[in-house]
Parts: sequence; C-alpha cells; structure tokens
Amino acid sequence: MPVDKDTLWYKDAIIYQVHVRTFHDSNGDGIGDFQGLEQKLDYIQELGVSAIWLMPFFPSPLRDDGYDIADYNTVHSSYGTLDDFQKVLESAHKRGIRIIIEMVLNHTSDQHPWFQEARSSQNNPRRDWYVWSDTDSGYKGTRIIFLDTEKSNWAWDPTSKSFYWHRFFSHQPDLNYDNPAVREQMWNVMKFWLEMGVDGFRLDAIPYLVEREGTNCENLPETHNILKDLRRRLEENFEGRMLLAEANQWPADLRPYFGDGDEFHMAFHFPLMPRMFMGLKLEDRKPITEILRQTPEIPPSCQWSLFLRNHDELTLEMVTDMERDYMYDMYAQNKTMRLNLGIRRRLAPLLNNDRRRIELLNGMLMSMPGTPIIYYGDEIGMGDNITLGDRNGVRTPMQWNGGWNAGFSTADPERLYAPIIHDPVYGYPAVNVVSQGESEHSLLHWMQRIIAVRRSTKVFGRGTIQFLYPANHRILAYLRQFGKETVLVVNNLSSTAQAVELDLRRYKGNILIEMFGDNIFPRVGELPYLLTLGPYQFYWFRLRRV
Amino acid sequence: MEDETFLTDDFLRQLINVGEVDILVGLPTHNNARTVGSVVHTIRTCILRNFPRERAVIINADGGSRDGTTELVTGISIGDSRPTSDVYALRTLHSISTRYASTPRSGVALRTILAAAELLRAKACVVMSPDSENIQPEWISNLLRPIYYDGFDLVSPTYRRHKFDGLLMTNLLYPMVRALYGVRLREAYMPEFGFSGRLGNQFLGQNTWNDGTEGNGVELRFALAAITGKYRICQSFIGEKDPTERRGADLVPTLRQTVGVLFSALESDFSQWSSVTGSQAVPTQGTDQEILLNPLRVNRKRLHEMFSIGVAQLESVFQSILSPSTLAELHRISTLGEEAFRYPAELWVRTVYEFASSYQKSIINRDHIIQALAPLFRGRVFTFVVENRNGSAQDVVNNVESLCVEFERLKPYLLERWKSRE
Repeated sequence: MPVDKDTLWYKDAIIYQVHVRTFHDSNGDGIGDFQGLEQKLDYIQELGVSAIWLMPFFPSPLRDDGYDIADYNTVHSSYGTLDDFQKVLESAHKRGIRIIIEMVLNHTSDQHPWFQEARSSQNNPRRDWYVWSDTDSGYKGTRIIFLDTEKSNWAWDPTSKSFYWHRFFSHQPDLNYDNPAVREQMWNVMKFWLEMGVDGFRLDAIPYLVEREGTNCENLPETHNILKDLRRRLEENFEGRMLLAEANQWPADLRPYFGDGDEFHMAFHFPLMPRMFMGLKLEDRKPITEILRQTPEIPPSCQWSLFLRNHDELTLEMVTDMERDYMYDMYAQNKTMRLNLGIRRRLAPLLNNDRRRIELLNGMLMSMPGTPIIYYGDEIGMGDNITLGDRNGVRTPMQWNGGWNAGFSTADPERLYAPIIHDPVYGYPAVNVVSQGESEHSLLHWMQRIIAVRRSTKVFGRGTIQFLYPANHRILAYLRQFGKETVLVVNNLSSTAQAVELDLRRYKGNILIEMFGDNIFPRVGELPYLLTLGPYQFYWFRLRRV
Repeated sequence: MEDETFLTDDFLRQLINVGEVDILVGLPTHNNARTVGSVVHTIRTCILRNFPRERAVIINADGGSRDGTTELVTGISIGDSRPTSDVYALRTLHSISTRYASTPRSGVALRTILAAAELLRAKACVVMSPDSENIQPEWISNLLRPIYYDGFDLVSPTYRRHKFDGLLMTNLLYPMVRALYGVRLREAYMPEFGFSGRLGNQFLGQNTWNDGTEGNGVELRFALAAITGKYRICQSFIGEKDPTERRGADLVPTLRQTVGVLFSALESDFSQWSSVTGSQAVPTQGTDQEILLNPLRVNRKRLHEMFSIGVAQLESVFQSILSPSTLAELHRISTLGEEAFRYPAELWVRTVYEFASSYQKSIINRDHIIQALAPLFRGRVFTFVVENRNGSAQDVVNNVESLCVEFERLKPYLLERWKSRE
C-alpha cells in the first residue's frame, strides 16, 4: 500500500512522533536506531497512523536531545547510517506511511564546523554566519525562552572575544539569516533530504530566524520572507511535500505563518493543547471554545496540527498567569514536574492514568479541526520519570514487552541511553505493547479503533467546525461538516454523568449513527435533542437523512 | 402537592445545566432594578477576584418583578455562547433566575435558594440583599470565606452603623437572643449571611415552610436554627450598612418579622433556651461592631407622643399582657414630660419578657400582642437616643452591654412567667 498521491495528504494524516533513539535498539548498544525502527514499522502500521515524524537524528553532541545539530547532511552514528535511514524511508512508503523529519533552521550546535570556523577569527569567511556583538546589550526587548538555565540571549565566546546571539541554550548559536549564504546553505540542506524522499519537515523554532533592534525578535516580516522563499523553492522542485511550523505563539501571531497558502502547510496549535487539559480539569468547555474562537481562518490548503503531548514540556507560555498557576496546581503540584514555563509529564500520568480521561482527550484530539499527532508510547499509556533531568523523563525507551529491557534493547540495562520506566503503575511489566496487544480492551486496541474511525472519513481532517453552545457548560459539542457529510461530536468534560439538550433543529429528520458501533439513535425533531453522557464519555455521530 | 411543584421545570432545567457548584450566591428580588445591577456586578467581581477557580452560580429568586430586575441578574453570566470582552474568567459563571408563583415573600425566596443549593450540592452559600447601594466585593467574600475555608456553617454579618441605626437590633433582638440562647450574635435578623450546604439542607428539610407565617422573618429563624442545631457560627465584619435600606419600613411589619418570629421560636426552642445560663462570644472576623457618631436628627418629640398615646389607647390590651406592676410603671412614665421621660432598661426588659410569655400563652391574638409592642418600643428608642445623644462610641457600646446584662439577669423572670399558669 504505497503512499497516495494526494497533495493535501497532510490534512487527512495521523502523525506518530518518534525519536529513533527511544524506539528500538537493533544492535544491542543501548540506543535505538534506524534498523530498530524499521523492525517496528509493522507495529506503527497496525496502529493505523499515516505518517511518522522523526525527531532530530543528525550528528550532535546531544546536549539538547539532538536539537543541537553538528552536521545536517547525515545521521548520528549511534542511530546507524544514511543507508539505514533510506531503508526506513522506503519501507515506510511501502506501507503507505510518510516520513516527516525535523529540521532545526534557527541555530546549530556550537560544535558544528560552521561555528567552529566562525569563532576561530573575526575575519573568517564564516564569521558572518552567526550573530556577533561586542556587547551583550543588543535586542533588549527579546524574552529568554529557557528561563531555568539561561540568564541572557547573549553568550561570551572567549575564543573570538565577543558575544554571540542564542535564543535557546548558549551552546546553540543562532544562524544569521541576514546572510544570503546562510539562506542558500539551509535550502541546500533541505534539498538534500527532499531528494532522498522525505515527505516533509517539521521546522523547529521558526519565529526566531531574524533579529531586529527595537523588536522582540519574533515573527518579524523578514522571517516570513525567508520562509516564503523556502516554500517557493519547495513548490518549484518537489511536489506533495509539506512544511510544518513549530511556533509557540498565539493564534493571531501564528496566522501569518500560513501566508496566503504560500508559507507553511501546517502549524502547531500550541495554545489549544493546555486548554484541553484545563477544560478537562475545570469541567468546563469555556477555555477550549474561547481559544478556538480566537483562532483565525486559515487558507484552504493549510491545516492546524494538534497534539496532547510531545517530547517537550506541556508548554504554558500561551496561557495567562492565572491559567498557568491553575495548571501548575492541578497537574504539577510536585515542583520537580515543572520546567521552564511548563510541565514535563506524559499524557497518562497527567491524567492519573484515568482511562476515561485519556480516551476523552484522544477523542477530542481526533475530532477537532486539524491533524493529530500521537507521541510515541502514549498509545499504550506509558509513564514518565521525573527524576531524570530536563525533558528526558518523557523520552524513555519504548516499552515493547515485559521482558529484558522491555524489549527495547538486548544491552545491559546500565548501558541504555536512559532507564526504562519501572514503577508499579507505568512500569514495563504492566504497560507494554505485547500485553496490550493480547488484551481486547487495552488502550492500544482502543487507539487503533479510534484512529480507524477517524480515517474512515475526511470530515475530521478537512471539514468545517461549528460549535453548539448547549446551556450545560460541561458539554463540548460541535458539528464537523465536509461536503455532504456531517458529524456531531459531543464530549462530556465532567467526572459525573450529564444530561444535555442540543439544538439540532436545522437537521430535523436526520437520524444519528454512532460511529464506533454504527448504532442508530433517535431521529432529530423540533424539540431539543436530549442526550445523556456518562463521566468523560464522548460520542461521534454521523448525521444521515433517511 | 405544593412541595412537588415547588421548583418550576424551567428552573430545574437551568439547574441541570449549572451542575454541582462550590459557591452559590442567592439573591432574592422584587422590583430592585434600581440597585440590583450594581449588586450583581459586585457579586461577579467578588467571584472572579476571590474565587476564580471555584464553580460558582448566582441564583435569583424573584417575586414577580416587572422592572427588568431578572434581566439585569441573568445578564452578568459569563459563558462562551455570549462572550464578554470586559471580564476575564477561568470558567463559566451561570447567573440564573426563577420567578416563584406567589406574592413576594422572603421565605419563599430563601426556600428556593436553599432548594437550589441542595440540588447543586453547593459547599458555601451566601444570600445577599438586592437593594444595597454600597455593597463591596469584600462583603460577599467575608461571608463566604469562613464557610468555604474554615468550616463554619453560618456567617452573620457585622456592620459599621450609626449609633441610632438598627435600634430594634440593639435594644431587643441582640440582647434577647443573647440572653435566651446564650450566643452573642449581633445580627440575628440577617440581611446578608453565609451558610454551609449542610446547614442549608437541614433547614430546608425542616417542616416549617407551611406554618402560616408566610415565610416572614425566615432569616431570623435560620439563625436560630443554626444556634439550636449546634452548628458552627461566626460573625464577619463586612462594612458600612446603608441606612436607607430599611428606611420607610413600617415598624409593625418589621416587629412581626423579627420579634414575632423570635417569640414564636421560643415555644419550639424552650427545651434549649430554658437551660442556658450566661452567654458566649461568637468567633468574629474583624470587629464585631463599629459605630458612627455623625449628627443625626431624630424626632424625639414624635417618639414621646407615640409612646404616651399608645399607652393610653392600648390600656385594655396591656392589662391582658403585662403584669400590674409593669403596667403601673408604664403609666407613671407616660405622664412624664419629654425632658424627664426615661424608659429604664429593667422596665424595658420586663416589658419584653412579659410580652413574650403572653405571646406564648396566646392571651389575646398574637398579632395584636406584637402590634401593641410598637408604641412601647418607640418609648425605649426615645430613651436610647437621649441617653446616647452625646455619648462616644464606647459609651454606646457600654449602654448596649448594660442592656444585655439586664436581659441576662432577668432571664429567670421570663422563665417564671413562662411556666406560670396565669
């Protein structure tokens, strides 16, 4: 089943986010690799997803889990060879699964040869590939992103005796996009991978490409011009490829990244994610509907990318102070769970391993307007290890079975890149792929089922959304419509059973067909449509006139 | 049958939509459009500022307003179907209204609010007056916090009042409740008060809603139920009481709602109050009273006239109610001119106690007994005004305290009268 030719494939996609290092170790060195990933492609195919997003796999000192790239044109030796990557790409495509790779445009590692050359002398030809200054007083209006570790966006380079600019860790110097040579070089990097066959890029940290004095150095017009140029080159040379923007911004600030359909194909909807958790805890749909109401229309060819959890902390940058305090108190009372402005936890522990809430949030993820991304391991309810530093607690080895190293590696346990989760609730003896595969009612089987239902129609990926506002604020209800197809989604955010009356008069005469069981519900009439939902229950109904 | 149809279907539907709450603010109204808008905005401000995370609801029990009161109340809801740009709220705030099917009565309104609180499993509730002109967010907060955070069941307000405001409270209700029930509750007849869900549920379940009182003075009955039920009670200072709130209220209806209810409660509560000696202070957050001393014109001449005329005109009624010695003393002071006239504390306490025991024995029509107290109360007010005319705040406090002590000292006299067969 090769990948289809639809150039809008990303609108219907379900993406599975994987770090090669964490997934499966084929050579017993304690580190996941491409051959290991290839061996597990059947599993990913059975899960039902249509694309894989691979986190950075480039040579790197790994001081930021690979987001500090030291060479853009090959793979980290721990993960295998470029040939190994090529095989994964081809094997995935044969299974109808596309491959999206990470591309960190904004900065390199300080170990990258470009930076080593740049810092070697002030006259080096590559000197201007980075942003230098004699003082650390420039761009004062720019926020510091990694507040817990960085005191300034400038770092002193003792070699060339000047300051260099960095928006993230000080070992990640920002590239200078005012330099045409840098822009050309980064396109060449992208072209290298596109020619190999990758289907898209998740472009990391894109709001920060350009710096200008007197601004906050984010979302600048010059940055958009650079991105539009990349998109133009992509369209001219590679059909059906996709650019996904990582820009942790408010929806109104994100909108320009779609341009007129000539910049990014997709962008993460960062503000929605924490509000889904907030709405669930508040048992109130208001945070969710409010942020979606503030979400601007995007060009028809564009798409939001939705997620519940990923490899980073549950970011709380795009919430108010009051909301952040609430989220901390509700989801991270233990302060070691907090990092920067966020919460470094996986989905299942965040929800106290409550199956009903895990299902509800996944149901919302799959039914809201956008392309859902599932973080590896969340489909079986993996836990986290908050004793590991930074965000490593949510990047532990995939739990394949209850045997040696959870089936992740044959290495001695002490050689694993990170310890396997071994606590009584989330430990690999209790939570693993094999055991869930054998249990008909496991989370894994449920995830396979909901993914299949989601993929049975294009309405979720491409349809419009219209919120119903029933008087019961614990019920989040909306209609998804695409062509002649209409789906009604009703979510109970409450821990208690709820009754709700829905105004469906415009659909009078339709019957509702519950999409998981294909069961028929009563016909819609003039009166409000009465539904009762159990705690955290949700329904997807296909509306059908008979 | 009445119980079964007590809450309308529409109101029940609204309550279903609200669901379980932490905080419930009850607002009884009847044609309060002039003031209710600012009151509900203040309530909303308090909730957003002091209880932003809590599930809250405003319940309006309306007695048939025709001036847009209910629309003003429901208009301050916060939700996603009708976004408001001027306020930020973490969660939805419902402000719902129901119109009860009878003439405006505080009892029906409170019953509606209590029923809603029970159905919504509210943890902390507060009833606010809809006609307050100087309400502040802290008022509501001060009434709710002791319930929500400290586990109290009833929070009665204390106010900053003028020394001549609330004289029925200082000269009768406070000292009598204190002496009989042993609890120094400043405002037993509470215009605003906070209560716990469990106290509300207990009171709602009492079979006192169809007792013929039409719910008059239900706030006082509620306070007494908290006292006799051994619930945790405290007072909370909330601010300056607007003296205009009760201006124009006729004395006799006010006496019915307060003294009448108290006298009535003494019957059912006899086993409890009869054994109480002395009195205990109530935990109080903030001061238990603040007294304003600014000059205030009081028509003493009119008070004196009404007392003297009343004593003369109600001679036969008083003969039924009062002991010969008390009546004789009233006759004596009624002949005194304005300068010499005083209604001494001891005589006033004996008068009140004799009224209470006569009320219990229904010597004459009970309502006539309450009405007959009105001219005598005016005589007592005259005396209080004269005695405190030039007094400092401390003098006023001391005089009220002396009266309270007198009520406590003469309590055996009430018991004696109560038990006598005459």
